[in-house]
Amino acid sequence: MLAPLSWLKEYVDITLSPKELGDRLTEVGLGTEKITKADGDVIFEFEITPNRPDLLSILGIAREIAAVERKKIRQLNLPNLTKPKKESLPIKLNPDYKLFQRWTGISIANISIKPSPQWMQDRLTKIGLRPINNVIDITNYVMFELGIPLHAFDYDQIIGHEMTVEKAIGGEHFTSVDEKSYHLPKNAIIIKDKERIIDLAGIKGGLNSGITDNTKYVFLHVTIDDPILIRRASIALSLRSDASAIYERGVDKGGTLKTLARAAQLVIELAGGNIASKIYDLKNKAFEPWKLKLRTERMNNILGIEIPEKRVLSILESLNLNPSIITLSSFPRKRESRFVPVKTGIKSGVTDSVIECTVPTYRNDLKIEEDLIEEVARIYGYNNFPKTIPIGQLSTKKIPYFKDFKIEEIAKNILQASGLSEIYTYSLIGEKDLTEQRWKTEDFLRVDNPVSLEFEYLRPTLKINLLKGFSQNKPNFKDINLFELGKVYLGNNLNEAKESYFLSGISNTKNFFEVKGILERLFDELGIKEDPTKFIEILDEGVFFEINYSEIIKQVDLNKKYIPLPKYPPIIEDLALIIEEKIKTGDIINEIKQQSRFVTDVSLLDTFRDSRTFHIIYQNKEGNLTTEEVGKIREKIIKFLKEKFNAKVKE
Amino acid sequence: MEEELIQIKNTAVSLILDILDRKTLEEVKLQFLGRSGKLTLVIKEIAKLPKEDRPEVGRLANEVKKAIEDTIANQELRIRQLTDQESGERKEKIDTSVPGIKPDIGHLHPMTQVLMDVVDVFKTIGFQVADGPEIETDYYNFEVLNIPKDHPSRDTQQTLFLDTRKSKVVPGEVILRTQTSAMQGRIMEKIKPPVRAIVPGKNFRYEQVDASHGFEFWQVEGFLVDTSVRLTDLFGTIDYVLRKLMGEGIKLKFATTNFPFVEPGVDTYIQCTVCNGRGCSFCKQSGWSEIMPAGMIHPNVLKAVGYDSQKVTGFAFAIGLSRLVTLRYQMDDLRLLTNPDMRILEQF
Repeated sequence: MLAPLSWLKEYVDITLSPKELGDRLTEVGLGTEKITKADGDVIFEFEITPNRPDLLSILGIAREIAAVERKKIRQLNLPNLTKPKKESLPIKLNPDYKLFQRWTGISIANISIKPSPQWMQDRLTKIGLRPINNVIDITNYVMFELGIPLHAFDYDQIIGHEMTVEKAIGGEHFTSVDEKSYHLPKNAIIIKDKERIIDLAGIKGGLNSGITDNTKYVFLHVTIDDPILIRRASIALSLRSDASAIYERGVDKGGTLKTLARAAQLVIELAGGNIASKIYDLKNKAFEPWKLKLRTERMNNILGIEIPEKRVLSILESLNLNPSIITLSSFPRKRESRFVPVKTGIKSGVTDSVIECTVPTYRNDLKIEEDLIEEVARIYGYNNFPKTIPIGQLSTKKIPYFKDFKIEEIAKNILQASGLSEIYTYSLIGEKDLTEQRWKTEDFLRVDNPVSLEFEYLRPTLKINLLKGFSQNKPNFKDINLFELGKVYLGNNLNEAKESYFLSGISNTKNFFEVKGILERLFDELGIKEDPTKFIEILDEGVFFEINYSEIIKQVDLNKKYIPLPKYPPIIEDLALIIEEKIKTGDIINEIKQQSRFVTDVSLLDTFRDSRTFHIIYQNKEGNLTTEEVGKIREKIIKFLKEKFNAKVKE
Repeated sequence: MEEELIQIKNTAVSLILDILDRKTLEEVKLQFLGRSGKLTLVIKEIAKLPKEDRPEVGRLANEVKKAIEDTIANQELRIRQLTDQESGERKEKIDTSVPGIKPDIGHLHPMTQVLMDVVDVFKTIGFQVADGPEIETDYYNFEVLNIPKDHPSRDTQQTLFLDTRKSKVVPGEVILRTQTSAMQGRIMEKIKPPVRAIVPGKNFRYEQVDASHGFEFWQVEGFLVDTSVRLTDLFGTIDYVLRKLMGEGIKLKFATTNFPFVEPGVDTYIQCTVCNGRGCSFCKQSGWSEIMPAGMIHPNVLKAVGYDSQKVTGFAFAIGLSRLVTLRYQMDDLRLLTNPDMRILEQF
């Protein structure tokens, strides 16, 4: 939303510099994105939050400025629209209050279409609009001035001088004033005359009933359209207009007559003519301001400070919320001890009162007490608040979805210490990434509206991105060691979708046993009893591993217990065996360990041709092992290995 | 025998003084003082002397022994000094200014390093870490957060919808979460206050990528609900956390904003560290970067999870983790965080 300073100043006196004003408005919620100086004027560019349709207008912004500047708004001097003696241009309106909650209109006769005056053209240009002719410019000008959309029809083009509001069936053809044609989506709000669709309500006017250079009679109307139907239709048509942006967010239902009066005033002033109908104002509700209560005790409890009541009232007053105190206890009430508001240092003589506000119809974002609390807090200024640290209970119970972050830290630290560097990559991958692995795309989860085809599928593995990272580094590095801990997405449809963290890595400097050793160390540290061999794959690029981390950390056991040092010395000996090559070392080691509880550790010391030398540690925790005892165990081992693996002791 | 003793002493001392290495010194020591050393053997003979001669010869033997021991000790010291000197000379011969040989360790991603810090800081004020799904329902991502269908604020969080074919899911109901705030409902509906949680995680939005926006980005959601949580607590928590993470000297400011799930709504800006507030493409020339949107949890959200909004209050915030990382290390583009180039990784 663009707003020229000169236009704002018509409504409110401004003492702050543009920069100061922008900063202050940002603080109160009107995000100032840009301030530009041009042609002796200053143009503000504001970002309007979805809850404040009233700020999509010069008057709305001026009201906020009035609140921060503590100034009064200058009200427009509007004429009283009165019914003429002779209704020369009557019209029949067939309402549907579900579609138009309110329908306000008037006919004006004998106008002359011409360019609008320079001052109006300048203002429209400054806010980014293109001047067209006086009547159309007036409708735009008034919409941006007051924040309520309005539309002008060529009265003569309304066949039968009758208008009916209804929902589109879907598929109807419609040509807008800017000569674009559309097929209407179902349930778009449309206005028909006796024969044709003449308006796509709340979004765009129709070409067939629009203002032309020959228009002599106009029907001006202001409608309150259903926000959801407008939003759906404009999304379906990819057609967002200034009007639809206001309707979607909820327009000021109480302001239609004022808007109509302002438009009629300008039409008569700039295009001549005279009022030629009664004022139509079809509605099924009054659309009056509403009451909202604010308990100062609750406000203080939520804000954490006691803002003096006088200041609270003046803030509410500056926002036109018409505050009045409805109850005032003469003694300060006993405060609930759990709340500890911070003293502002200002003597306020705070009592717990209830302030009743009357909310103007343009502030339909103010619905509950907390909304009023925010109003007070934001104008008081967030940056004027003291800062406290929360008091209260600390729960030692694990919260739902608890994650032991320490495990991840340990795992990553071990991989880092082992020489691997961590990468973060996108969860979304392309079809090509999958087909290159010779995978079928239908086996994986897919996004319906990807940002691009490179990011259409949810990755089922970290391998693809690791290999990409590997090749990307190839030109610059000889040694590449990478890992990622990230989510993969399994299942081929949403009912079976499962997210799992995977831990994967690739190395072109480490051999199979080094990678296996890293994983063994990782599992040892985490207390996981698992053989990592099955997670490792030897690729052309290097040694790759991929572990279902979510699954494996279910085994994590970080509990450690001290084992007393042995009181008796171990007996260590090396045993050289000749065993067929196909027998796995791991199996031999396991079998040796099985033979006696006094065998506490076995490792492969050396391999030479057909012989393997095992390093065996014998130890008895309760006493010294004698040479005879060890000899017996050794005999048992040799005998067993001979029977099982046809092993022979090397002479 | 007395002569013999003196002879031994003289031979030993002159021999020892010529020795310049420890090994030989040790050998000579054994040769004289060892179990079958020359001096030991002579001393053994003392017992065979007449009783009256023994004290005199004994005293002399002790003196000789002490003299040899002292000489050995002195010579040991000398050898050590000489060796040190020599190694000093050797050290001078190599060029010690050549950089050391570093062990091959890898690098943790900057995101991980910052996240570890974030978790640590929040631990100090009693927050636990939680983790939840990225494939999320419309209910938790929007509706429980007071964002009904057709709410205009959905425009600010353009959603990536998942293909519902082959499943019984109604189209549009299952999405990639647009905000970690989706975890508020999931956690709160399962636990009674007090609750203090942070939820780090990835989010997805249909967004065109530029220096400060990505379609995948990280946030750390956090919220606290208790019997007496105040807006000043939120300001204090944000201030404490960001100063711990980004340094005492950072500049922060708060502004009003609107998210349907908070009231009052707060936005936190940090002075851009890329340009020190002068304005750059990263901060859209404003000198400030939005870092931590927050607010007091809206009563409708508390109601939706079964809390009594008159009895408990709470605050919630979301730290833009990706942005925090780039701001901490003065990286001028969010896309650097998903780039696996080791020339980037090795800087951290």
